[in-house]
Amino acid sequence: MKSDIFVWVEQFEGEAPGASWEAMGAARSLADEHGGDVVACVFGADGLDDLAQEAISYGADKVLVTSDPSLADFRVEPYAALLAQAVRGFEPETVLVAATFRGRELGPALAVKLETGCIADCTELVSEDGQLMATRPIYAGKLMSRCVIPERRPQVFTTRVRAFPKPDPDPGRSGDVVELGPLMGEDEIAVKVAGFRESEGGVSLADASIIVSGGRGVAGPEGYEPLRELAETLKAAIGASRAAVDAGWIPYEHQVGQTGKTVSPDLYIACGISGAIQHLAGMRTSKVIVAINKDPEAPIFKVADYGLVEDLFDAVPALRKALEKKLT
Amino acid sequence: MHIVVCTKYTPDSEAKMSVDEAGNVSWGDSPLIINPWDEYSVEEALLLRDEYGGTVTVISMGPEEALEALKHAVAMGADEAIRIWDDACEGSDTLATSYVLAKAIEKMGDVDLVLCGKSAIDAQTWQTGVALATRLNYPSLMYTINIAALDPDGGSITVERLLEQGRQVVEAPLPAVVGTIKGINEPRYTSFIGIRKAAKMEYPLWTLEDADADPEKVGPSGSGVRWPEVFEPPVREGEAEIIEGETVEEEAEVLVEKLLAEKVI
Amino acid sequence: MDFSWTEEQRLWRRAVRDFAQNEIAPRVREIDTEERIPREIVEGMAEMGLLAPTVGEEYGGVGADWMMATIAAEELGRADISLAVPVLYLVEAAWGFIFYRYGSDRLREEYLPRVTQGEAFLGIATTEPGGGSDILGACRTRAEEAGDEWKFNGEKTYISGVRESLDWGGIHLMLARTEPDEKAGHKAFTFFAMPLKGTEGITPTFFEDMGRMGISTGGFALDDVRLPADHQVGEFNRGFYHAMEGFSAARTLIGATCVGAAEATLGIGMDQIKMREAFGRPIASFEGIQFPLADLYTDLEGTRLSTYKAAWTMDQKYKHEEATHHDIALAAAMAKLKAPVLGFKVMNEVADWFGAMAYTKECPVEMGIRGIRSYSIGAEGTPNIMRLIIARELLGQEFLPTLYMEKA
Repeated sequence: MKSDIFVWVEQFEGEAPGASWEAMGAARSLADEHGGDVVACVFGADGLDDLAQEAISYGADKVLVTSDPSLADFRVEPYAALLAQAVRGFEPETVLVAATFRGRELGPALAVKLETGCIADCTELVSEDGQLMATRPIYAGKLMSRCVIPERRPQVFTTRVRAFPKPDPDPGRSGDVVELGPLMGEDEIAVKVAGFRESEGGVSLADASIIVSGGRGVAGPEGYEPLRELAETLKAAIGASRAAVDAGWIPYEHQVGQTGKTVSPDLYIACGISGAIQHLAGMRTSKVIVAINKDPEAPIFKVADYGLVEDLFDAVPALRKALEKKLT
Repeated sequence: MHIVVCTKYTPDSEAKMSVDEAGNVSWGDSPLIINPWDEYSVEEALLLRDEYGGTVTVISMGPEEALEALKHAVAMGADEAIRIWDDACEGSDTLATSYVLAKAIEKMGDVDLVLCGKSAIDAQTWQTGVALATRLNYPSLMYTINIAALDPDGGSITVERLLEQGRQVVEAPLPAVVGTIKGINEPRYTSFIGIRKAAKMEYPLWTLEDADADPEKVGPSGSGVRWPEVFEPPVREGEAEIIEGETVEEEAEVLVEKLLAEKVI
Repeated sequence: MDFSWTEEQRLWRRAVRDFAQNEIAPRVREIDTEERIPREIVEGMAEMGLLAPTVGEEYGGVGADWMMATIAAEELGRADISLAVPVLYLVEAAWGFIFYRYGSDRLREEYLPRVTQGEAFLGIATTEPGGGSDILGACRTRAEEAGDEWKFNGEKTYISGVRESLDWGGIHLMLARTEPDEKAGHKAFTFFAMPLKGTEGITPTFFEDMGRMGISTGGFALDDVRLPADHQVGEFNRGFYHAMEGFSAARTLIGATCVGAAEATLGIGMDQIKMREAFGRPIASFEGIQFPLADLYTDLEGTRLSTYKAAWTMDQKYKHEEATHHDIALAAAMAKLKAPVLGFKVMNEVADWFGAMAYTKECPVEMGIRGIRSYSIGAEGTPNIMRLIIARELLGQEFLPTLYMEKA
């Protein structure tokens, strides 16, 4: 029985999200502990050589590369078929996929194709009695569950974004790059990509290491302006509470919380957010939380590390000025 | 057009969850509700039905509590509701659940479109929709924020999928599995008339046999994943350190120092 | 005896709570400040079947029975403690029922579909400058036959929804004297459907209320107002009795909505006393706080039960003919006597728990205090009138104090 670990490396326009390298780091740690190779799988249209080398620098021993026009955009159908085929050929013990939107599709599809288990959104993976024990949040993080795939192999895990540290790349590492041919022709794929409309600029919430988030206290769409300026200074993403999204002040894409995105940045700055339990569920695992709120009784102060009891329209510009003074 | 919506019941999203010493999960006296993400699917199905005609059938694999989800969907306006359950289903992971749902949908036979919520707020695996599509060999259209076009006669659908970088527009043949997300619509509240219908309606129960499903492929024997332990995460303790200063500018400067010391900026 | 809810009742309470807590509760301060109920709320209520729900489906209603209507009243009070939305709801639910029961076909067709869609208002107008409780003495507005029309002269005052009726259109069920002979007693009044918008001879007036700001209070003078004959509602000279039916219904709903508002306020108060500390401990741990809480909750639960008993009695009458108007009048009067006064008491107590903050608009309780006071002052019958009704039902007509006054 081999104990190799497959890691699917996601790419969009030739670039991998940090989350894929986090998964790679998790795989590398497990392989270093228990032996076996870390095998990266990279699919795309062309020009994947740099990405393959990058995968090696992040810890892959081997990279399986498939280039074909049909793989230009992510579609679960050809991607899952190809990955399943590779898994059948190489028989890894474990497959890790970052739990991005695409990864959350690919993992379960792969598991069904292989009639095996998939544990989603793992925040921890440890070896226990010869099994990989995963920890994952349930009920919006109000509870945690420990999960295991006792019998079926390979076992599939999706790793929660920013739950595992992103390793430092080592450009000196070496590894093999193996080309695999595509499995499905374009005419065999039912789903056709008709276009892509990129979101308006800015840092995406999932990848952001800093999030500046606004709630009811921003009091209107224009109230996000000082937050955006602060976010620009910090290279941060903009988040929002459900109250602000429901009021129509900012699109849903920005919503953090139980009915929005779950984020885990290094720094979360909550501006004018009272801290409803549903919102806390989406950001409580942030490393450092700063709360800015006029109301000293706001529940957000119970989870925050630092608090400013101030009007956000005074505090946010002041914070930006203080940062500019320090950072430049 | 026959639209099937997959739903499940969950504790209310505001429930205070806890785990007792025996490891049993409790949601206190919070009510059981339809998984909030599924409301978007039900709403979308109703909108499509009203535009293109046809029927909406909601299904749920689950014990008697699953009726909460079905009743809510019927009160919103769904036409039919089927609960699928067998004692053998207990302990099913998404591999097994998607198998049962796929068998039931195959048994119905005339399905044009399957709708699912993006995830359930309890186990939040995000898996069932895409697993079901893979089982059925239907196109998987997860994270749909807009159904841009639907041609029931020509058998095609165009949707916008919300991914990290933006919206991917894809076309697919019917039948397909669409996973909805918040933003696709504004789910309606249940109405008096709908509730009257939901309270009176019969909810047929399909056993595994009714769905032509193999009992070996459900429950623990049909599942890959086991979850031996559920626990309460350590609570983030205490109160924030409130930064105090003469002026807001001074407070901001102190805060920046603290954040630099934390190495997060 | 069975205290459980039917499946339909359980689902309905959840649905109304869901809607009211999400769509109304966050906007109560706005409703109070802007002095209007946002259009979206009225439309949302229409979609759910919350506008004049007791009207039959043939006119766009949902044919709700009184238990279902009362459940909604409680939940709307729980969401809007200022009681503006509950007033809109319960006035239409109670008087829409009377109009549905006794109105002419043509008028029902003209107004009820619009009322149930939130496009017209339906209210009640009995009170006059001379008073409200004593209809016999105070109702001076006259209706006279003039050819095949009715001609009205007089004035109605302290009427809910005058602005709404003028803006949206709609009708007020208006009581007018149709028998000049004083000896006719109660059999001297007839109900009419009075449209305020666009009716010649109507001069409206408006009052600035103390509370429940989202719904208007006003009055209107009638100067040779003419309406076609089909605007008569119910039997000639039986208007007083139709009014009593409507009052019983409204009183039951008022009981429920005050209980809902009081429970919501008590909930806010309980959060507060658990959180707020004095002398190094949460103030909830002081008996001076706990004992009033226990007493109020006990009274509230008792009132809640008697309110639902009134709703149940109404269903016994209207669905099964197994109760009388007297049974209803007694049960409804008890709910109306108790709930507003108790609700006011609860809100006052909770205000004490908040301290100075309760005296500011940072705290919602003041909206509740201002709102619920309208029902403990009067609105569909003063507490003393409720006592009068209760005593009449217990002792018999012959001990009515008014009889002795007349004799004297």
